[in-house]
Amino acid sequence: MRTIQDLRKDEEDIRSLKGRSGIILSFLFILIILGNFKILQLIVVDGDDYEAESDKNRIIDVPIYPSRGLIRLQDGTIVAENIVTQGIFIKKQLLESSQDEIQVLYEKVLDKRRKFPGIKEIGKEIKIIWLAVDLSEREISKYQVHKNSIPNLQLDVNLRRYLPHKHLFSHVIGHLGKINSQERLALTRQEYPADSFIGKVGLEKVYEKQLKGSIGSSILEVDVYGNKIREINRIIPIRPSDLTLTLDFELQKIAKDELAGRRGAIVALDPKTGFIKALVSSPDYNPNILNGSEKDSLVIDSYIEEAPFFNRAISGSYPPASTIKPFIGLLGLEEEIINSSTIIEDIGFFQLKENGRKYRGWKEDGHGKVNLKKAIVESSDVYFYELSSKLTIDRISSFLSKFGFGSISGIDLSNEMQSVLPSRNWKLGNIGEAWFVGDTLNLGIGQGYISSTPLQLAVSISAIANKGKIFKPKLIINDRTGSHQPELLTEVKIKNDSHWNIIEKSMVSVIQSWNGTAHNLYDKNGITIAGKTGTAQIKSLIDQELSVREEYEGVRKNIKNRDHALFASYGPVPDPNLVVVVIVENGESGSAVAAPIAKKLIENYQRNFKSL
Amino acid sequence: MSNRNPLDYSLNKPLSSGSNPIKYIFKDLPLFIALFAVLIFGLAMLYSSSGQSFSMVIRQSVYVFLGLSLMTFISHLKPDSYKNVLMHSYWVGLFLLIYVLLNPADGYSTSRWIDLGFFQFQPSEIIRLILPLSLIAYLSRRDSTPILSDWLFTTLAALICSYLVFEQPDLGTSIIVLTSGLIPIYLAGLPYRIIAVYLGFVAIASPYFWSSLLDYQKQRVLTLLDPNADPLGTGWNIAQSQTAIGSGGFFGKGYLEGTQSQLNFIPESHSDFIFSVIGEEFGLLGIACLFALYGTIIWRIFKIGYSAQSSFERLVCCSLGFIFLLFILINVSMVIGIIPVVGVPLPLVSQGGTSIVVHLLAFGVILSAKKTHL
Repeated sequence: MRTIQDLRKDEEDIRSLKGRSGIILSFLFILIILGNFKILQLIVVDGDDYEAESDKNRIIDVPIYPSRGLIRLQDGTIVAENIVTQGIFIKKQLLESSQDEIQVLYEKVLDKRRKFPGIKEIGKEIKIIWLAVDLSEREISKYQVHKNSIPNLQLDVNLRRYLPHKHLFSHVIGHLGKINSQERLALTRQEYPADSFIGKVGLEKVYEKQLKGSIGSSILEVDVYGNKIREINRIIPIRPSDLTLTLDFELQKIAKDELAGRRGAIVALDPKTGFIKALVSSPDYNPNILNGSEKDSLVIDSYIEEAPFFNRAISGSYPPASTIKPFIGLLGLEEEIINSSTIIEDIGFFQLKENGRKYRGWKEDGHGKVNLKKAIVESSDVYFYELSSKLTIDRISSFLSKFGFGSISGIDLSNEMQSVLPSRNWKLGNIGEAWFVGDTLNLGIGQGYISSTPLQLAVSISAIANKGKIFKPKLIINDRTGSHQPELLTEVKIKNDSHWNIIEKSMVSVIQSWNGTAHNLYDKNGITIAGKTGTAQIKSLIDQELSVREEYEGVRKNIKNRDHALFASYGPVPDPNLVVVVIVENGESGSAVAAPIAKKLIENYQRNFKSL
Repeated sequence: MSNRNPLDYSLNKPLSSGSNPIKYIFKDLPLFIALFAVLIFGLAMLYSSSGQSFSMVIRQSVYVFLGLSLMTFISHLKPDSYKNVLMHSYWVGLFLLIYVLLNPADGYSTSRWIDLGFFQFQPSEIIRLILPLSLIAYLSRRDSTPILSDWLFTTLAALICSYLVFEQPDLGTSIIVLTSGLIPIYLAGLPYRIIAVYLGFVAIASPYFWSSLLDYQKQRVLTLLDPNADPLGTGWNIAQSQTAIGSGGFFGKGYLEGTQSQLNFIPESHSDFIFSVIGEEFGLLGIACLFALYGTIIWRIFKIGYSAQSSFERLVCCSLGFIFLLFILINVSMVIGIIPVVGVPLPLVSQGGTSIVVHLLAFGVILSAKKTHL
């Protein structure tokens, strides 16, 4: 039974309890206040930020890439397309935890030659990692067998660039490659994630933007593992533009076949439009291997020495050699230093009055009495030594530049090399020496400092074929923006238009006259072709001062020292529709090696042209 | 004694004169309703946060039912009848803590779990409530004021439990166990002289204590300093949890509509981090309602405690009230990122059978302090 003492004690207990409770409560109160402030801060003050943060967590933007634009010929032949290949990928989040599965993949599924791709370079925007692409059927069937033991590794398709004609268009179309960090600087990361392909060379590079199209995107809600929950929105990608090439399939094929096994280049274009009809550089390569759509070892070592990736047609620098003579002759007529009947005595060499030095022609005994026509037909060096010594460098240089010597043509390909047209200033700036008369003589026969690319030479020849008009060379006739019209680059004006005819007749005679350097092409019933042979000296008599013929022959035993064979031509005269420039490296004889190829192209083109 | 003390008589009168069977069974209706509301709300949140798993909700409901039955049963017992059992339950707790250290369940890096096959539980969850109850029973076993040896003995008992948990190793829980042991000792009237000695001892020992912490325990403490510095590292959980609460706004994203929780961005969303799911789906309003229910529960606990007649009953109510409040505060504080992450579930809401049953058992003890008559 409770007593009053008990009650007093209880009261005291309760008072003490309440006192101590108050002290504990005041400690906890600090936490209560802090907690409530923090909650209010999260919700009221920073709520919007957290809302954005939470959306960023769950909403991702997956780009949708349209398949790359096709490249066709005008007859509809597909030159570059996309093929479907299969690959195995893994989501980036799963990479860490799936090392065992990856090991199984490489040990049991994939070919032994495959290696695990580097992971360190992968950027943040990449969500999936391709462990292997372009699987073989064997690998796909092995994957099906082991599928259940590697659930994180998934099979999917991806598109690869494919050139059905492989080597045929390699230097025109070019190839794709993995984008590098420098290329990425100028591009949006969205459009080009770190593992994407981009055009590296050729039309693939120049028309990258059009071929790529604009990316679409799929806005997805994902969970913390990156699994798709639903699609919130989708922006359909804009289909890229297909390109239509100016090239002629037949011509391209003939040109390639003719150059097969040789080093050299062929450019054929329509002088009335500037449209390229054939552009071949040999040796070439199979772009499919670089595009990843075909497996093969790319090149063998000796092949690399031949520089298969080097586009000789637009980047190769060759002395124009005797193909320059029609231009020099035309300038002589224009400047009234000669007329068509001016005679020069060719005794095998030209001696400079200033220092008595002899400049030899290619024919030891000379060509005898030579007028302009004969000088072009027989390719007399002495005639042009004398003519150019009278013309002087300044006039030659400024006249040649009107024809495009020394400049780039502006074709829609990457890596076009600028040809070299020497002048007084050029030599002073680049060689550091004053100009000598001897330099002018060399220039007069297309040797020495001057160099041309096959394309530039074709463009310059098209001016003669076209009586002065030069059209910009083009490879693409049609794209999204519509058809590309011929673009007149410039028109070379001369005082007397009959001079064009004199030059043309001389060039026709190169083939038609019994003494013409390319008389081997003559066909009485055939198409009239105007042309000029050229033999570009590598180890020249002039440079090396090898005046003794035996020594010269000795040099030539090495194939690499043999002269380049050139032929610049157009036809049919009088209404030419094709200019052809052929260069065969170390081919020695322009008439025997280069000229027949040009003839074949021009003839073939007429056959098809008529049927059009 | 033959003549009854009038004061005594009036104290023994039933608090409400009406005879209401519901009131008799549940003893304190506001407390019961608040408890029930929190439990139901907890089950609803469990459904949302478990990826809408019915089986998990049903399993939890079984524990809720079991706990409520146990609570109602205990609430009708006389404290004197189970006081001794409570006191000796300490040894059961101690045994479990030692057992778990020696025989940890497979599949865990630390020895915290006991696996009974059909059921896994952490002894530390039980000891959090067993320890204070047994200490109170011990301290109030006599009518007289505890003597020096009682204070030292109970303090030692609390330290042993705390140390065993620390050895698991689980720093956070060991601090919580220690706190839940010290609160009743302090409330029972631990003399301030002894407290001063204790504090002096702590001041000397604490440098040694810090150097004995494992690296990950130090890391857990240091994480708190800047949880946003390394969102994918140790602070990622907190950053995601804060994002969930912050993005919930005033009214929340709606039940089952929380993107952070439904898409699994919140770690442990059905257990320790369930509060962030509440914040995300029901917003500030939901948090306020939950706090109001918890407030009601705590208010009723103290009301019962202050009007209880024995020292034991008063101590039980006040101690458990504070411990309950402390658990809520620790859980919420860790979820919102103002204290380090320690393994404390949100009482009565988080998934976990042990926690629910032990808490409801404790509420049974509290309710038994309230006298009602049929």
